[in-house]
Amino acid sequence: MSVPLPVAPVATTPQPAPAAFPGPPLAPARVALLFGASLVACVVAYLAFAVPGRWFSPVSDEAYGVHRLVLSRGTGAIAGDALVITRTAGDGNAVVSVTTDLRAADYPVVAWNATNVPDNANVALLWRTDVEPSRLNKRPLQSASGRLLPLDLHADPHWLGRITGLALAVQGSLAAPLQVAGVVAKPADARETLRDRVREWTTAETWSGASINTVAGGADAQPLPLPLLLACAIGLTIGASILVARRRLRVAAPAIATGAIALALAGWFVLDARWLVDMARHTETTGQRYAGKDSHAKHLAADDGELFAFIDKALGVLSGQQGRVFVVADADFFRGRAAYHLYPHNVWFEPYHDVLPPARELHAGDWLVVYRRRGVQFDAGRRSLRFDDGATLPAELKLLDHGGALFRIQ
Amino acid sequence: MIDALRLTAGWALVWLFGIGVTAALACALRGRPSTPAHVAWTIGAGFFAGAFGITVWMRVLSYIGLRFSVADIAAPLAVATIAMIAWVWRRGALRLPAASFVRAPMARIERLLAIGLSLWLAVRFVLLLLDVVWTPLYPWDAWIQWATKARVWYALGQIVPFGRSEAWFAANGALFFDASPDYPATVPLWQVWSSLALGRWDDALMNLPWWLAAVAFAIAIYGALRGAGVQPLFALVGAWLVSSLPLANVHVAFAGYADLPMAAYFALAAISLWRWTMSRSRADATLALLFAIACLTIKKPGLVWALTLLPGIVLAVAPRRAPRLLAGGIAIAVLGLLVLAQMHPVVLGYRLHLDFAPAWDSLLDSLFLLGNWNLLWYAIVATIAVGWRVLREPPLAPLSAILAAGMLFLGVVFAFTNARAWVTDQTTINRATLHIAPLALFWMILVVDRWRGRLVANAALPTGAAPAAA
Repeated sequence: MSVPLPVAPVATTPQPAPAAFPGPPLAPARVALLFGASLVACVVAYLAFAVPGRWFSPVSDEAYGVHRLVLSRGTGAIAGDALVITRTAGDGNAVVSVTTDLRAADYPVVAWNATNVPDNANVALLWRTDVEPSRLNKRPLQSASGRLLPLDLHADPHWLGRITGLALAVQGSLAAPLQVAGVVAKPADARETLRDRVREWTTAETWSGASINTVAGGADAQPLPLPLLLACAIGLTIGASILVARRRLRVAAPAIATGAIALALAGWFVLDARWLVDMARHTETTGQRYAGKDSHAKHLAADDGELFAFIDKALGVLSGQQGRVFVVADADFFRGRAAYHLYPHNVWFEPYHDVLPPARELHAGDWLVVYRRRGVQFDAGRRSLRFDDGATLPAELKLLDHGGALFRIQ
Repeated sequence: MIDALRLTAGWALVWLFGIGVTAALACALRGRPSTPAHVAWTIGAGFFAGAFGITVWMRVLSYIGLRFSVADIAAPLAVATIAMIAWVWRRGALRLPAASFVRAPMARIERLLAIGLSLWLAVRFVLLLLDVVWTPLYPWDAWIQWATKARVWYALGQIVPFGRSEAWFAANGALFFDASPDYPATVPLWQVWSSLALGRWDDALMNLPWWLAAVAFAIAIYGALRGAGVQPLFALVGAWLVSSLPLANVHVAFAGYADLPMAAYFALAAISLWRWTMSRSRADATLALLFAIACLTIKKPGLVWALTLLPGIVLAVAPRRAPRLLAGGIAIAVLGLLVLAQMHPVVLGYRLHLDFAPAWDSLLDSLFLLGNWNLLWYAIVATIAVGWRVLREPPLAPLSAILAAGMLFLGVVFAFTNARAWVTDQTTINRATLHIAPLALFWMILVVDRWRGRLVANAALPTGAAPAAA
């Protein structure tokens, strides 16, 4: 047992001293050995379940980079190391294809490297084979956090012969440009499966606005989460320990308990070490972005730096002025952030919906901040604002900058 | 540099004030003889007493119409702090703080482990401190419903009302607006105090109290475990476990939400109450009451979290009648829910219904597969399984009852309200679970410690003797 543990009682209940064992019923080395064996057993069991084809494959990954990709439908261009698709075609589809020459049996898994995949889009893998050259095969692809998950095709009856072409089909509107960096056909043997799992566990987690709600613990999508593997291995070790010591269980129970606690703490430590490394990475990134800057410069360096620059100018106009300030923008993020930067002015914004304030509620002397909001028109000749519901308001343009405008209602 | 000094001095005063309150309470209201509070408990819990205390004082100042200023807020606090600490010191009731594992008799390997673990904790807190002081206010809710109030109150020097859209339109400038105008004031007031101490609005540095709360909470847990008779190394392990919950760390690095303060105050209220069930000391009872009241002022669900303390009180006050009283209470609560659910009311922001369909997959993902909690919920399940008898007996039964009530609350929220959708998208589920996770960890350590103690005691009995049920 690597961690000595106390036997002190809770507060008031005195308890007898620990027993003097005639010999260690379960020596730490034996517990460690049992844990090692349990871990291996869990991994083997997982591989038996997860490896789609052969455990040991003679071939390696077949990758097709961005320059091999052809955009058959939709609008886009290669930028850096990705094909950036900005619009789907008139029928609502975007298709990226690549010519291949793969033996289906050698490559049971296909993984598209794509980001910004919209949640509400229908995404599918298409392929052709030399066995059924006239047939276009199709299987839906799942995504997680805007990334496509690998697809296991080994059981698909049409994944056979030689694969002569692969394609990615996206149906639906693209709120943000879809980036496709390539596609990889994988043998997905035991070694590669394990390597993928380890890579997922050690992937640097991207800290974002969603991190306040959820910590993934490595890659966003993980077929075998590390906490599950550790918990299974620890559980199996405890079961094995009970089995080993079944003839003197009462005497061995404290040692088994101590071993279980030590293993749980060791497992926790492994997860914590991974997390601490991730925290250090994040702190380094944060430091590169903000360290040494004053509050103003930090905001200019933040995600909404451009908005802040505009609001900073708007605050200059608003300085010393009275009146309520209404904020409108298409995106929830910009409405909320603009309002936040505008406090302590008396700000109104709609936090969760892209709606304009009722025109009748705006009075002379009020201010209107419009930031990247379609549907609000200003007629400079008439000095009049027109809302998307047709309502008009007399207003004066006070600032136009950085995609935003500040009006004073007359 | 001056910034750091001003901010540090501002919060050091708050912390010392809280230590003074906690120590003076223990000194003045000790009541019947009890296990003396461990100094780490006094220090750790002291921060939270002080952090709540200063917001109470700021509310008073605002109520009587005085504008916030460093002098008006800090001077009375400083005087009270000096008076309390001097009084306690003269009575010999306050010992100098010391890391007790440094002085405790330990094997060499244990001492090395303790030192290693302390360094490990220090690395974590240094990283978190850098994140807090570098990052301008980042998480979503923080800038649409929490710091919004702080920004206005700091600028105006007093607490002014916020209202919903309709009221805001009608008030014609007399109200302020944000996404949740009726949210409690404690957390924004922390940010106001940071800004006052700093002398300017800085939405990175104003979040220092989140980091301080994390450090103080670790110290409090260490002290509470030591006070419960847990050995120094294991108590330190407890502090590490509580400090290493990834989601709790994110809530420090991305400071500005009220969930971490909610978790800390609820845990401290439950721990103080549990200490009272054993000591029957008025000091512990007062502290429990103080932290329970604080819960109400942190977040709106704080009311329910405070109510989950009731089963613990019932078990402590009337242990024989407790099963009947608790069963009756549960029956009334269920009946009330059934009646209420017919009307689909909105309670504390949750729309109640009777359509039982928890999102089990997402719930399992959140508790067991994602990286939010390390191995916490596996360990809780195992603890319930092996410590079933221990957790139902005194002295742990009241704490177990509080935890069970808390879990029941989460279960109702995520099975019978619109919050189910937030389980599916992994948003509120984890933040709500964070409220109870530190207490669950503390409870787990006590149950495991006691369970293992029983196994050792049973193993020591001669063959044929009847063992104590483990």
